[in-house]
Amino acid sequence: MSIEVKNLIKTFDERTVINDISFKVNDGEILAIVGFSGSGKSTVLKLICGLIPYDSGEVLTSNGDIAMVFQYSALFDSLNVADNISFALKERKDLRKKYTPEQIKKIVSEKLELVGLKGIENKFPSELSGGMQKRVSFARAIVTNPDIILYDEPTAGLDPMSSTLIEDYIVSLKRELNAASIVVTHQMSTITRTADRVIMLYDGKIVFEGTPTELLKQDTPYTKQFVTASLEGPMQMQA
Amino acid sequence: MISLQKYLKQSATYKVFSHFMLLFSDFLDTVGKIAQIGYHVLKCILRGEIDKKELITQCDRFGVSSLPITLSIVGMTSIIVASQVAHEMVKQGGSGFVGLLMTILIVREVGAIMSGFAITSMIGSSLASELATMRVTEQVDAIDVLGVDSIRYLFVPRVLSGMIMMPFVVIVASVVGVLLGAVTSDLFAGLTYRAYFDSAWLGLYMKDLGVCLLKAMTFGATISLISCTCGYFASGGAKGVGIATTKAVVWSFIAIVVWDMVFAILFFF
Repeated sequence: MSIEVKNLIKTFDERTVINDISFKVNDGEILAIVGFSGSGKSTVLKLICGLIPYDSGEVLTSNGDIAMVFQYSALFDSLNVADNISFALKERKDLRKKYTPEQIKKIVSEKLELVGLKGIENKFPSELSGGMQKRVSFARAIVTNPDIILYDEPTAGLDPMSSTLIEDYIVSLKRELNAASIVVTHQMSTITRTADRVIMLYDGKIVFEGTPTELLKQDTPYTKQFVTASLEGPMQMQA
Repeated sequence: MISLQKYLKQSATYKVFSHFMLLFSDFLDTVGKIAQIGYHVLKCILRGEIDKKELITQCDRFGVSSLPITLSIVGMTSIIVASQVAHEMVKQGGSGFVGLLMTILIVREVGAIMSGFAITSMIGSSLASELATMRVTEQVDAIDVLGVDSIRYLFVPRVLSGMIMMPFVVIVASVVGVLLGAVTSDLFAGLTYRAYFDSAWLGLYMKDLGVCLLKAMTFGATISLISCTCGYFASGGAKGVGIATTKAVVWSFIAIVVWDMVFAILFFF
Protein backbone atom coordinates (compact mmCIF):
# COMPACT_ATOMS: atom_id res chain seq x y z
CA MET A 1 0.00 0.00 0.00
CA SER A 2 1.34 3.40 -0.87
CA ILE A 3 -1.70 5.63 -0.41
CA GLU A 4 -4.78 4.80 1.63
CA VAL A 5 -7.54 7.32 2.11
CA LYS A 6 -10.14 6.46 4.74
CA ASN A 7 -13.44 8.24 5.31
CA LEU A 8 -12.06 11.61 4.30
CA ILE A 9 -14.25 14.67 4.91
CA LYS A 10 -13.46 18.28 4.03
CA THR A 11 -15.79 21.22 4.42
CA PHE A 12 -15.28 24.79 3.16
CA ASP A 13 -17.62 27.45 4.58
CA GLU A 14 -20.33 24.95 5.54
CA ARG A 15 -20.11 23.28 2.08
CA THR A 16 -18.92 19.67 2.21
CA VAL A 17 -16.54 19.37 -0.73
CA ILE A 18 -15.25 15.89 0.12
CA ASN A 19 -17.86 13.72 1.78
CA ASP A 20 -16.59 10.50 3.33
CA ILE A 21 -14.48 9.02 0.56
CA SER A 22 -12.12 6.05 0.84
CA PHE A 23 -9.75 4.46 -1.68
CA LYS A 24 -6.32 2.84 -2.02
CA VAL A 25 -3.52 3.16 -4.55
CA ASN A 26 -0.77 0.54 -4.65
CA ASP A 27 2.86 0.91 -5.67
CA GLY A 28 3.27 1.07 -9.43
CA GLU A 29 -0.42 1.78 -9.93
CA ILE A 30 -2.07 4.81 -11.51
CA LEU A 31 -5.47 5.86 -10.23
CA ALA A 32 -7.41 8.43 -12.24
CA ILE A 33 -9.83 10.66 -10.37
CA VAL A 34 -12.43 12.00 -12.75
CA GLY A 35 -15.51 14.15 -12.49
CA PHE A 36 -16.92 17.45 -13.61
CA SER A 37 -15.36 20.74 -12.57
CA GLY A 38 -15.98 21.56 -8.93
CA SER A 39 -16.48 17.93 -7.93
CA GLY A 40 -13.56 18.06 -5.48
CA LYS A 41 -10.89 16.25 -7.52
CA SER A 42 -8.05 18.72 -6.95
CA THR A 43 -9.04 19.08 -3.30
CA VAL A 44 -8.39 15.35 -2.81
CA LEU A 45 -4.81 15.82 -4.07
CA LYS A 46 -4.23 18.82 -1.81
CA LEU A 47 -5.56 16.85 1.18
CA ILE A 48 -3.24 13.92 0.38
CA CYS A 49 -0.09 16.04 0.10
CA GLY A 50 -1.02 18.10 3.16
CA LEU A 51 -1.51 21.47 1.48
CA ILE A 52 -4.88 21.77 3.19
CA PRO A 53 -5.95 20.04 6.40
CA TYR A 54 -8.91 17.65 6.39
CA ASP A 55 -11.75 17.77 8.89
CA SER A 56 -11.90 14.05 9.60
CA GLY A 57 -10.76 10.71 8.24
CA GLU A 58 -7.27 9.42 7.54
CA VAL A 59 -4.65 9.69 4.82
CA LEU A 60 -2.03 6.96 5.15
CA THR A 61 1.02 7.14 2.90
CA SER A 62 4.28 5.24 2.73
CA ASN A 63 7.29 6.98 4.30
CA GLY A 64 8.88 8.26 1.07
CA ASP A 65 8.44 11.59 -0.67
CA ILE A 66 5.22 12.85 -2.18
CA ALA A 67 5.52 14.85 -5.39
CA MET A 68 2.89 16.89 -7.15
CA VAL A 69 2.63 18.16 -10.71
CA PHE A 70 0.43 21.23 -10.69
CA GLN A 71 -2.23 22.10 -13.25
CA TYR A 72 -0.40 25.21 -14.49
CA SER A 73 3.08 23.79 -13.81
CA ALA A 74 3.74 26.25 -10.92
CA LEU A 75 7.37 26.68 -11.95
CA PHE A 76 9.27 29.36 -10.03
CA ASP A 77 9.40 32.11 -12.64
CA SER A 78 12.37 33.88 -11.06
CA LEU A 79 14.54 30.74 -11.31
CA ASN A 80 15.89 29.06 -14.42
CA VAL A 81 15.06 25.47 -15.34
CA ALA A 82 18.11 24.01 -13.56
CA ASP A 83 17.33 25.91 -10.33
CA ASN A 84 13.67 24.91 -10.57
CA ILE A 85 14.53 21.23 -10.85
CA SER A 86 17.24 21.29 -8.18
CA PHE A 87 15.16 23.43 -5.79
CA ALA A 88 14.39 20.61 -3.33
CA LEU A 89 18.00 19.35 -3.40
CA LYS A 90 19.34 22.81 -2.54
CA GLU A 91 16.68 24.05 -0.13
CA ARG A 92 15.32 21.03 1.70
CA LYS A 93 16.77 20.63 5.19
CA ASP A 94 17.53 16.91 4.88
CA LEU A 95 19.01 17.19 1.37
CA ARG A 96 20.81 20.52 1.50
CA LYS A 97 24.23 19.13 2.37
CA LYS A 98 23.80 15.74 0.75
CA TYR A 99 24.80 16.67 -2.80
CA THR A 100 27.73 18.59 -4.25
CA PRO A 101 27.05 21.17 -7.01
CA GLU A 102 28.48 18.70 -9.58
CA GLN A 103 26.14 15.94 -8.39
CA ILE A 104 23.18 18.33 -8.53
CA LYS A 105 24.12 19.33 -12.06
CA LYS A 106 24.24 15.67 -13.07
CA ILE A 107 20.87 14.88 -11.46
CA VAL A 108 19.26 17.88 -13.20
CA SER A 109 20.65 16.78 -16.53
CA GLU A 110 19.41 13.18 -15.97
CA LYS A 111 15.90 14.31 -15.04
CA LEU A 112 15.71 16.64 -18.02
CA GLU A 113 16.79 13.81 -20.29
CA LEU A 114 14.08 11.62 -18.77
CA VAL A 115 11.42 14.10 -19.87
CA GLY A 116 13.06 14.66 -23.25
CA LEU A 117 14.33 18.18 -22.67
CA LYS A 118 18.10 17.98 -22.72
CA GLY A 119 20.13 21.20 -22.71
CA ILE A 120 17.55 23.75 -21.54
CA GLU A 121 19.03 24.19 -18.05
CA ASN A 122 19.64 27.93 -18.41
CA LYS A 123 16.27 28.86 -19.88
CA PHE A 124 13.61 30.57 -17.78
CA PRO A 125 10.01 29.25 -17.57
CA SER A 126 8.72 32.24 -19.57
CA GLU A 127 10.89 31.12 -22.51
CA LEU A 128 9.23 27.67 -22.65
CA SER A 129 5.98 26.48 -24.25
CA GLY A 130 3.13 25.15 -22.07
CA GLY A 131 4.04 21.53 -22.84
CA MET A 132 7.72 22.12 -22.06
CA GLN A 133 6.83 23.85 -18.79
CA LYS A 134 4.71 20.86 -17.85
CA ARG A 135 7.61 18.49 -18.59
CA VAL A 136 10.00 20.63 -16.53
CA SER A 137 7.51 20.47 -13.68
CA PHE A 138 7.58 16.65 -14.06
CA ALA A 139 11.37 16.74 -13.81
CA ARG A 140 11.16 18.95 -10.71
CA ALA A 141 8.61 16.64 -9.10
CA ILE A 142 10.65 13.47 -9.62
CA VAL A 143 14.03 14.92 -8.60
CA THR A 144 13.83 13.20 -5.19
CA ASN A 145 12.60 9.90 -6.69
CA PRO A 146 9.23 10.07 -4.90
CA ASP A 147 7.12 7.08 -3.92
CA ILE A 148 3.91 8.95 -4.65
CA ILE A 149 3.23 11.28 -7.59
CA LEU A 150 0.10 13.37 -7.78
CA TYR A 151 -0.86 14.94 -11.13
CA ASP A 152 -3.40 17.77 -11.15
CA GLU A 153 -4.92 17.90 -14.65
CA PRO A 154 -1.56 17.24 -16.35
CA THR A 155 -2.89 17.57 -19.90
CA ALA A 156 -5.26 20.50 -19.41
CA GLY A 157 -4.73 23.25 -21.97
CA LEU A 158 -2.26 21.26 -24.09
CA ASP A 159 -2.59 20.37 -27.77
CA PRO A 160 -3.36 16.69 -28.58
CA MET A 161 0.25 15.80 -29.41
CA SER A 162 1.66 17.41 -26.24
CA SER A 163 -1.08 15.64 -24.27
CA THR A 164 -0.02 12.29 -25.72
CA LEU A 165 3.59 13.03 -24.86
CA ILE A 166 2.67 13.92 -21.27
CA GLU A 167 0.52 10.78 -20.96
CA ASP A 168 3.47 8.67 -22.15
CA TYR A 169 5.71 10.31 -19.55
CA ILE A 170 3.20 9.56 -16.78
CA VAL A 171 3.28 5.88 -17.74
CA SER A 172 7.07 5.77 -18.15
CA LEU A 173 7.62 7.51 -14.79
CA LYS A 174 5.38 4.94 -13.15
CA ARG A 175 7.54 2.18 -14.60
CA GLU A 176 10.79 3.98 -13.82
CA LEU A 177 10.03 4.80 -10.18
CA ASN A 178 7.35 2.19 -9.36
CA ALA A 179 5.50 5.06 -7.74
CA ALA A 180 1.87 5.14 -6.72
CA SER A 181 0.28 7.81 -8.87
CA ILE A 182 -2.99 9.70 -8.84
CA VAL A 183 -4.02 11.59 -11.96
CA VAL A 184 -6.82 14.11 -11.67
CA THR A 185 -8.29 14.67 -15.10
CA HIS A 186 -11.46 14.93 -17.13
CA GLN A 187 -9.76 14.16 -20.42
CA MET A 188 -10.78 10.74 -21.79
CA SER A 189 -7.46 10.15 -23.59
CA THR A 190 -5.53 10.67 -20.34
CA ILE A 191 -7.80 8.21 -18.53
CA THR A 192 -7.58 5.47 -21.14
CA ARG A 193 -3.85 5.86 -21.86
CA THR A 194 -2.57 6.15 -18.30
CA ALA A 195 -4.95 4.82 -15.66
CA ASP A 196 -5.11 1.34 -14.17
CA ARG A 197 -8.20 2.22 -12.17
CA VAL A 198 -10.67 5.10 -12.15
CA ILE A 199 -12.85 6.69 -9.50
CA MET A 200 -15.48 9.27 -10.33
CA LEU A 201 -16.40 12.01 -7.90
CA TYR A 202 -19.66 13.87 -7.80
CA ASP A 203 -20.79 16.18 -5.03
CA GLY A 204 -17.81 15.09 -2.91
CA LYS A 205 -18.68 11.38 -3.10
CA ILE A 206 -17.35 8.45 -5.14
CA VAL A 207 -20.09 7.51 -7.60
CA PHE A 208 -18.07 5.06 -9.69
CA GLU A 209 -15.01 2.88 -9.13
CA GLY A 210 -13.56 0.57 -11.78
CA THR A 211 -11.19 0.19 -14.71
CA PRO A 212 -11.06 2.56 -17.71
CA THR A 213 -12.73 -0.19 -19.78
CA GLU A 214 -15.60 -0.42 -17.29
CA LEU A 215 -15.94 3.38 -17.41
CA LEU A 216 -16.21 3.29 -21.19
CA LYS A 217 -18.95 0.60 -21.02
CA GLN A 218 -21.26 3.28 -19.59
CA ASP A 219 -23.06 0.78 -17.37
CA THR A 220 -24.20 3.35 -14.82
CA PRO A 221 -26.05 6.66 -15.32
CA TYR A 222 -22.95 8.47 -13.99
CA THR A 223 -20.46 6.86 -16.36
CA LYS A 224 -22.89 7.26 -19.28
CA GLN A 225 -23.30 10.97 -18.59
CA PHE A 226 -19.56 11.50 -18.11
CA VAL A 227 -18.42 9.61 -21.20
CA THR A 228 -21.08 11.13 -23.45
CA ALA A 229 -20.54 14.55 -21.86
CA SER A 230 -24.30 14.91 -21.64
CA LEU A 231 -26.11 17.60 -19.71
CA GLU A 232 -28.91 15.10 -19.00
CA GLY A 233 -28.30 12.72 -16.13
CA PRO A 234 -27.82 12.45 -12.38
CA MET A 235 -24.90 14.92 -12.28
CA GLN A 236 -25.92 18.54 -12.38
CA MET A 237 -23.41 21.28 -13.15
CA GLN A 238 -23.27 24.03 -10.57
CA ALA A 239 -24.67 27.34 -11.79
CA MET B 1 -45.82 41.28 8.41
CA ILE B 2 -42.10 41.83 8.54
CA SER B 3 -40.41 39.95 11.39
CA LEU B 4 -38.27 41.77 13.93
CA GLN B 5 -35.17 39.80 12.87
CA LYS B 6 -35.71 40.68 9.20
CA TYR B 7 -36.37 44.29 10.10
CA LEU B 8 -33.17 44.50 12.15
CA LYS B 9 -31.14 42.93 9.33
CA GLN B 10 -32.40 45.56 6.91
CA SER B 11 -31.63 48.48 9.21
CA ALA B 12 -28.68 50.74 8.48
CA THR B 13 -27.37 50.36 12.03
CA TYR B 14 -27.23 46.58 11.64
CA LYS B 15 -25.43 46.86 8.30
CA VAL B 16 -22.87 49.32 9.69
CA PHE B 17 -22.40 47.16 12.79
CA SER B 18 -21.99 43.91 10.82
CA HIS B 19 -19.54 45.61 8.43
CA PHE B 20 -17.55 46.88 11.42
CA MET B 21 -17.53 43.40 12.98
CA LEU B 22 -16.28 41.92 9.70
CA LEU B 23 -13.48 44.47 9.56
CA PHE B 24 -12.62 43.80 13.19
CA SER B 25 -12.51 40.04 12.64
CA ASP B 26 -10.29 40.54 9.56
CA PHE B 27 -8.06 42.82 11.67
CA LEU B 28 -7.68 40.17 14.39
CA ASP B 29 -7.09 37.46 11.78
CA THR B 30 -4.33 39.48 10.09
CA VAL B 31 -2.68 40.42 13.40
CA GLY B 32 -2.70 36.73 14.36
CA LYS B 33 -1.13 35.69 11.06
CA ILE B 34 1.56 38.40 11.27
CA ALA B 35 2.41 37.38 14.86
CA GLN B 36 2.51 33.68 13.99
CA ILE B 37 4.74 34.19 10.94
CA GLY B 38 6.89 36.74 12.79
CA TYR B 39 7.56 34.16 15.50
CA HIS B 40 8.45 31.51 12.90
CA VAL B 41 10.80 33.92 11.09
CA LEU B 42 12.48 34.89 14.38
CA LYS B 43 13.05 31.20 15.21
CA CYS B 44 14.63 30.63 11.77
CA ILE B 45 16.90 33.68 12.18
CA LEU B 46 18.01 32.59 15.66
CA ARG B 47 18.74 29.08 14.32
CA GLY B 48 20.85 30.66 11.58
CA GLU B 49 18.69 29.29 8.76
CA ILE B 50 19.52 32.13 6.39
CA ASP B 51 20.06 31.86 2.65
CA LYS B 52 22.98 34.28 2.26
CA LYS B 53 22.76 34.56 -1.53
CA GLU B 54 19.06 35.41 -1.39
CA LEU B 55 19.71 37.80 1.52
CA ILE B 56 22.18 39.79 -0.61
CA THR B 57 19.67 39.92 -3.49
CA GLN B 58 16.95 41.18 -1.16
CA CYS B 59 19.31 43.72 0.50
CA ASP B 60 20.09 45.12 -2.93
CA ARG B 61 16.40 45.36 -3.72
CA PHE B 62 15.46 46.88 -0.34
CA GLY B 63 18.27 49.31 0.15
CA VAL B 64 19.98 50.13 -3.11
CA SER B 65 17.18 50.14 -5.66
CA SER B 66 14.84 52.06 -3.34
CA LEU B 67 17.40 54.75 -2.49
CA PRO B 68 16.63 57.29 -5.29
CA ILE B 69 12.92 57.47 -4.49
CA THR B 70 13.53 57.52 -0.71
CA LEU B 71 16.11 60.31 -1.00
CA SER B 72 13.77 62.28 -3.24
CA ILE B 73 10.88 62.05 -0.78
CA VAL B 74 12.92 62.82 2.35
CA GLY B 75 14.85 65.53 0.52
CA MET B 76 11.73 67.25 -0.77
CA THR B 77 10.05 67.03 2.64
CA SER B 78 13.11 68.71 4.17
CA ILE B 79 12.99 71.47 1.55
CA ILE B 80 9.28 72.05 2.26
CA VAL B 81 9.80 72.19 6.04
CA ALA B 82 12.91 74.38 5.81
CA SER B 83 11.25 76.79 3.40
CA GLN B 84 8.33 77.23 5.83
CA VAL B 85 10.34 77.39 9.04
CA ALA B 86 13.66 79.11 8.22
CA HIS B 87 12.23 82.37 6.91
CA GLU B 88 9.85 82.78 9.87
CA MET B 89 12.47 81.90 12.48
CA VAL B 90 15.04 84.27 11.04
CA LYS B 91 12.39 87.00 11.03
CA GLN B 92 11.57 86.34 14.70
CA GLY B 93 15.24 86.39 15.70
CA GLY B 94 15.62 82.64 16.01
CA SER B 95 18.19 82.16 13.26
CA GLY B 96 20.48 80.40 15.74
CA PHE B 97 17.95 77.57 16.10
CA VAL B 98 17.04 76.75 12.49
CA GLY B 99 19.75 74.12 12.11
CA LEU B 100 18.93 72.62 15.49
CA LEU B 101 15.21 72.40 14.71
CA MET B 102 15.75 70.90 11.27
CA THR B 103 18.26 68.32 12.52
CA ILE B 104 16.08 67.19 15.42
CA LEU B 105 13.05 67.01 13.15
CA ILE B 106 14.81 65.05 10.43
CA VAL B 107 16.84 62.69 12.63
CA ARG B 108 14.04 61.97 15.09
CA GLU B 109 11.06 61.89 12.74
CA VAL B 110 11.14 62.89 9.07
CA GLY B 111 14.07 60.71 8.01
CA ALA B 112 12.65 57.50 9.42
CA ILE B 113 8.95 58.03 8.83
CA MET B 114 9.18 59.41 5.29
CA SER B 115 11.69 56.68 4.35
CA GLY B 116 9.23 54.19 5.82
CA PHE B 117 6.43 55.52 3.65
CA ALA B 118 8.65 55.57 0.55
CA ILE B 119 9.89 52.02 1.16
CA THR B 120 6.35 50.81 1.81
CA SER B 121 5.13 52.28 -1.48
CA MET B 122 8.01 50.90 -3.48
CA ILE B 123 9.29 47.75 -1.80
CA GLY B 124 6.35 46.75 0.42
CA SER B 125 3.92 46.76 -2.48
CA SER B 126 6.40 44.86 -4.64
CA LEU B 127 6.97 42.20 -1.94
CA ALA B 128 3.22 41.77 -1.41
CA SER B 129 2.40 41.47 -5.11
CA GLU B 130 5.34 39.11 -5.70
CA LEU B 131 4.28 36.70 -2.96
CA ALA B 132 0.60 37.05 -3.82
CA THR B 133 1.33 36.14 -7.44
CA MET B 134 3.38 33.17 -6.26
CA ARG B 135 0.43 32.13 -4.09
CA VAL B 136 -2.25 32.37 -6.77
CA THR B 137 -0.06 30.60 -9.35
CA GLU B 138 0.53 27.76 -6.84
CA GLN B 139 4.28 28.46 -6.60
CA VAL B 140 4.02 28.67 -2.81
CA ASP B 141 2.16 25.34 -2.77
CA ALA B 142 4.93 23.90 -4.95
CA ILE B 143 7.56 25.00 -2.40
CA ASP B 144 5.61 23.29 0.40
CA VAL B 145 5.04 20.09 -1.58
CA LEU B 146 8.76 19.90 -2.38
CA GLY B 147 9.32 19.69 1.39
CA VAL B 148 10.84 23.16 1.77
CA ASP B 149 9.65 25.49 4.54
CA SER B 150 8.05 28.24 2.43
CA ILE B 151 8.07 30.72 5.31
CA ARG B 152 11.79 30.26 5.86
CA TYR B 153 12.55 30.42 2.15
CA LEU B 154 10.38 33.45 1.35
CA PHE B 155 10.25 35.47 4.57
CA VAL B 156 13.63 35.20 6.27
CA PRO B 157 15.77 36.92 3.59
CA ARG B 158 13.12 39.58 2.99
CA VAL B 159 12.49 40.46 6.65
CA LEU B 160 16.20 40.36 7.49
CA SER B 161 17.08 42.57 4.52
CA GLY B 162 14.51 45.09 5.80
CA MET B 163 16.13 45.08 9.25
CA ILE B 164 19.63 45.48 7.81
CA MET B 165 19.02 47.97 5.02
CA MET B 166 16.44 50.30 6.52
CA PRO B 167 18.94 51.92 8.98
CA PHE B 168 21.31 52.47 6.04
CA VAL B 169 18.54 54.09 3.98
CA VAL B 170 17.40 56.27 6.91
CA ILE B 171 20.97 57.47 7.66
CA VAL B 172 21.63 58.45 4.05
CA ALA B 173 18.17 60.05 3.72
CA SER B 174 18.62 62.00 6.98
CA VAL B 175 22.04 63.32 5.92
CA VAL B 176 20.59 64.42 2.58
CA GLY B 177 17.62 65.98 4.42
CA VAL B 178 19.84 67.99 6.78
CA LEU B 179 22.03 69.17 3.87
CA LEU B 180 19.03 70.20 1.76
CA GLY B 181 17.65 71.98 4.86
CA ALA B 182 20.84 74.05 4.94
CA VAL B 183 20.64 74.87 1.24
CA THR B 184 16.95 75.84 1.51
CA SER B 185 17.56 78.00 4.62
CA ASP B 186 20.30 79.80 2.73
CA LEU B 187 18.13 80.34 -0.36
CA PHE B 188 14.86 81.24 1.39
CA ALA B 189 16.04 83.05 4.51
CA GLY B 190 19.63 84.03 3.73
CA LEU B 191 20.89 81.92 6.64
CA THR B 192 24.57 81.10 6.26
CA TYR B 193 25.72 77.49 6.21
CA ARG B 194 27.94 78.20 9.19
CA ALA B 195 25.02 79.51 11.28
CA TYR B 196 22.91 76.51 10.25
CA PHE B 197 25.53 73.88 11.06
CA ASP B 198 26.72 75.61 14.26
CA SER B 199 23.29 75.03 15.78
CA ALA B 200 22.61 71.77 13.98
CA TRP B 201 24.67 69.73 16.45
CA LEU B 202 23.41 71.45 19.61
CA GLY B 203 20.25 69.43 20.05
CA LEU B 204 21.52 66.14 18.68
CA TYR B 205 22.52 63.42 21.15
CA MET B 206 23.73 59.85 20.78
CA LYS B 207 20.31 58.78 22.09
CA ASP B 208 18.68 60.41 19.05
CA LEU B 209 20.92 58.49 16.68
CA GLY B 210 20.40 55.25 18.61
CA VAL B 211 16.62 55.63 18.63
CA CYS B 212 16.68 56.58 14.95
CA LEU B 213 18.55 53.40 14.04
CA LEU B 214 16.37 51.21 16.26
CA LYS B 215 13.28 52.77 14.76
CA ALA B 216 14.61 52.22 11.23
CA MET B 217 15.31 48.54 11.97
CA THR B 218 11.81 48.11 13.40
CA PHE B 219 10.21 49.87 10.44
CA GLY B 220 12.20 47.77 7.96
CA ALA B 221 11.27 44.48 9.60
CA THR B 222 7.64 45.56 9.99
CA ILE B 223 7.21 46.65 6.37
CA SER B 224 8.72 43.39 5.07
CA LEU B 225 6.82 41.18 7.49
CA ILE B 226 3.43 42.80 6.89
CA SER B 227 3.88 43.01 3.12
CA CYS B 228 5.05 39.41 2.79
CA THR B 229 2.28 38.14 5.09
CA CYS B 230 -0.43 39.96 3.10
CA GLY B 231 0.97 38.49 -0.13
CA TYR B 232 1.48 35.02 1.33
CA PHE B 233 -2.19 34.67 2.31
CA ALA B 234 -3.59 36.13 -0.91
CA SER B 235 -6.31 34.24 -2.74
CA GLY B 236 -8.51 34.57 -5.79
CA GLY B 237 -6.40 35.40 -8.85
CA ALA B 238 -5.55 38.87 -10.14
CA LYS B 239 -8.13 40.54 -7.89
CA GLY B 240 -6.62 38.78 -4.88
CA VAL B 241 -3.16 40.09 -5.79
CA GLY B 242 -4.55 43.63 -5.93
CA ILE B 243 -6.35 43.27 -2.60
CA ALA B 244 -3.23 41.84 -0.93
CA THR B 245 -1.04 44.68 -2.26
CA THR B 246 -3.44 47.38 -1.10
CA LYS B 247 -3.77 45.72 2.29
CA ALA B 248 0.01 45.48 2.64
CA VAL B 249 0.49 49.19 1.91
CA VAL B 250 -2.35 50.33 4.21
CA TRP B 251 -1.29 48.06 7.06
CA SER B 252 2.37 49.06 6.72
CA PHE B 253 1.50 52.77 6.78
CA ILE B 254 -0.59 52.30 9.90
CA ALA B 255 2.07 50.12 11.55
CA ILE B 256 4.76 52.75 10.86
CA VAL B 257 2.69 55.47 12.53
CA VAL B 258 1.84 53.22 15.48
CA TRP B 259 5.51 52.23 15.95
CA ASP B 260 6.52 55.89 15.67
CA MET B 261 4.07 56.77 18.42
CA VAL B 262 5.37 53.92 20.60
CA PHE B 263 8.97 55.13 20.12
CA ALA B 264 8.00 58.72 20.88
CA ILE B 265 6.29 57.67 24.11
CA LEU B 266 9.06 55.27 25.15
CA PHE B 267 12.05 57.53 24.47
CA PHE B 268 10.94 61.15 24.38
CA PHE B 269 7.95 61.45 26.70
